[in-house]
Amino acid sequence: MDNRRPLRSLHPMLLWGFPLWAGTYFAVRVWLEGNPGGPEGMSRILVALLPLPFFLVMLFGLVTEVRRMDEMHRRIQFEALAVAFPVTLVLIMTLGLVEVAQPLDARNWSFRHIWPFLVLAYSIGLAFAMRRYHAE
Amino acid sequence: MKTRLRELRAERGWSQAELAERLGVSRQTVNSIETERYEPSLSLAFRVAALFGATVEQVFQPTT
Repeated sequence: MDNRRPLRSLHPMLLWGFPLWAGTYFAVRVWLEGNPGGPEGMSRILVALLPLPFFLVMLFGLVTEVRRMDEMHRRIQFEALAVAFPVTLVLIMTLGLVEVAQPLDARNWSFRHIWPFLVLAYSIGLAFAMRRYHAE
Repeated sequence: MKTRLRELRAERGWSQAELAERLGVSRQTVNSIETERYEPSLSLAFRVAALFGATVEQVFQPTT
């Protein structure tokens, strides 16, 4: 078993789920932002929910991949998430407080802008954990 | 925690990859245990000891 496996050996639900989810997410977002006067009400919400099934597919693949990891690599993932989760939580809570203090322009400041910070905090946590445990 | 894993592996002429395969872990994990960067769980420590026909204390020693 080697955790530096080629990309194609990843669980197919992760391998296909991620691009499908990301592609649908950005397509839906671009469409919704570009068509503010388009279909309204429930149909607009249904369009916004379109990426969700692909996300669930990706999530299943992700959990399967974590179960395939050995104990050290699970520990590394845990430490990365232990950094990313509180950082993201604090950002969401801070944005919530700022929003209460001062109504914000949703185009520039919104909860949908938080996720890149989750990716950033996870990557930093992952780099530190790998540096700590990997000897090479 | 100190370990004799590298020495025991060398005695049997196994590569890190071979040992990893026998233990059901990745080669990086074997490397990290040998270089004392990662302390294995009790269950993995027992698996390692059993593989070498030794006790856990003969493979791993606490640093004082």
